[in-house]
Amino acid sequence: MQVLDKTQVEAVSKALGEPGWLLEKRLKALEAFARLPYPSKKDENWRYTDLSEAPLEQEIETPKGLRLSRDQLPEPVRRRLERTDVSGFLVFVGPDLVYAEVPEELRQKGLVFTSLAEALKTHPEKVQSALFQGVYTEDKFAAENSAFFTHGAFLYVPAGLEVEKPLGVFKVLLEGGKASAGRSLLFLEDNAKAAYIEEYLSLDLPPTLHLSATEMVLRPGARLRHAHVQTFGEGVWHFHRQRALLERDSGLNDLVVNLGGAYARSEVASELLGPGSESEMLGLYFGHGRQQFDHYTLQHHTEHHTRSDLLYKGAVKDEARAVFSGLIKLEKGAQKTDAYQANRNLLLSPTARVDSIPQLEIGANDVRCTHGSTTAPVDEMQLFYLQSRGLPRGLAQELLVKAHLADVLSRIPLKALRAHIEAIIEEKVRI
Amino acid sequence: MSQLEIRDLWASIDGETILKGVNLVVPKGEVHALMGPNGAGKSTLGKILAGDPEYTVERGEILLDGENILELSPDERARKGLFLAFQYPVEVPGVTIANFLRLALQAKLGREVGVAEFWTKVKKALEILDWDEGYLSRYLNEGFSGGEKKRNEILQLLVLEPTYAVLDETDSGLDIDALKVVARGVNAMRGPNFGALVITHYQRILNYIQPDKVHVMMDGRVVATGGPELALELEAKGYEWLREKVKEGA
Repeated sequence: MQVLDKTQVEAVSKALGEPGWLLEKRLKALEAFARLPYPSKKDENWRYTDLSEAPLEQEIETPKGLRLSRDQLPEPVRRRLERTDVSGFLVFVGPDLVYAEVPEELRQKGLVFTSLAEALKTHPEKVQSALFQGVYTEDKFAAENSAFFTHGAFLYVPAGLEVEKPLGVFKVLLEGGKASAGRSLLFLEDNAKAAYIEEYLSLDLPPTLHLSATEMVLRPGARLRHAHVQTFGEGVWHFHRQRALLERDSGLNDLVVNLGGAYARSEVASELLGPGSESEMLGLYFGHGRQQFDHYTLQHHTEHHTRSDLLYKGAVKDEARAVFSGLIKLEKGAQKTDAYQANRNLLLSPTARVDSIPQLEIGANDVRCTHGSTTAPVDEMQLFYLQSRGLPRGLAQELLVKAHLADVLSRIPLKALRAHIEAIIEEKVRI
Repeated sequence: MSQLEIRDLWASIDGETILKGVNLVVPKGEVHALMGPNGAGKSTLGKILAGDPEYTVERGEILLDGENILELSPDERARKGLFLAFQYPVEVPGVTIANFLRLALQAKLGREVGVAEFWTKVKKALEILDWDEGYLSRYLNEGFSGGEKKRNEILQLLVLEPTYAVLDETDSGLDIDALKVVARGVNAMRGPNFGALVITHYQRILNYIQPDKVHVMMDGRVVATGGPELALELEAKGYEWLREKVKEGA
């Protein structure tokens, strides 16, 4: 069995034909990975999370060079492709980019949507300038990803190009038992506009570690809609970290969805670095069984006239757990800033649990800032009302869960994605 | 036995007994009024008929066409044809009226209801209520005025077509125009296959919904039953008059 050491980092880097600078960065990340202990409940940001059953220190799954035709794509992906909003997409089976479809018309306009490995050859300066700017060695798992990642997607939208239809990545895990580490790097030049959906799928698997990182660079005036949708099967432990760097007058609309897996943790940061930049951050989660979903968010305002608006809504049933920990941080220079944060949770069973910790750190005085959090069981009055019209209790509850999540869903203008998420929610209510 | 019958019903909430032996019969095909002063237990009776879990029934029976429904859940009662128009309809943000009504109709009929069939029914109901189709895509009672909420209750009544309806102070807080609309809805339901109990504090609504019988509740039981003239008499003389009369009788 391989171990998570220098030999392996070098092997991965060599197999991907990477330049020297990248190997160096990987090795630096490896140092951090080796130095940092695995988090425990003693760490403030992990105090609600039990990793004792997590498949840590798993061997990293490396690419096999698998390529598939569209008809050969794994069933879960094909089913998603029947109804999707995306016009161009990459499909990863484990670490292998098995299929890609990118509209020729966009390519001709200078858009690049390909694997990170390919982009390193065709657009080395772009990749070098942006890779690891957002996610590098922030914690043990980020460092592990940065040292060992085996695959990734790269999206580059040239200045002024507005891409209406979303582009997307479908990543599916077919075999479990090994760790999978991948990244997305999204680079939007001045006034570029795009939408990008990452979807993560699998069947039920033995314990499997999944690491993902998404880095977004929004140059002045760029607009990006980004969705991270995790619907893994049982057994997957998903550690996701993302960070958006928002320059002047740029705008991000971000969505994080956690519905699958054994455990999922999303650390989501928006860095409002330029005046006039804004970030809308939406989150949606619904846990059942013994699932746990942790969301750690950061709205970091460093410049004046910036705006962020966060709404995370979730529901938990059975013995499921969820954590929301959100920080709004306003630096001294962040005058005339609007920052909002709300987390709303619905408890569907007495053994389900949510810990919600909204936090503010305000270093500026001329700001508008609110935050709030609620966690409550289903409203018995509402249930009674719906039941009194003939709806069985289960169906009434299903309606109320969907209703609870509706205002997040209604803010997703991606019709097929919305229908997909709604269908999963329905299924989960009935389990 | 086509009737809604309440037999010696006793019920409490938080240890306080509210209903103290209610006896009442509403035959199918008739509309009865249930009047009484505040605190008499009228609304409690309505909620208990619908199966509100907040209340504990201590004794008695509720017979729907001869079948005791006390052990049934609220949704089972509804599917058997009982309907309560709430005094305070509940706001359910995130659930549209259209979606909810269609699900309720499907539950009631026990089968899929096609879009065309559903719309035919709803449009007819909207016409009777002189209501705008736009309301159907609004969330259930969210941000509705008192009048809109009551109209929405009657819309549900018309679409779901229950066998027995209990209208819990549907008239309270309504101006005369809204009251007429509500009455139009109830009157549209009248016929040999529909029975209703109109709970009200005031006689006013009975000018628009002519009751076949009037019952009066006081202190947790029905103390008087009569024809429509009883409502007028109460309007003229007040509940105290009846209270005295009941005392004398006892």
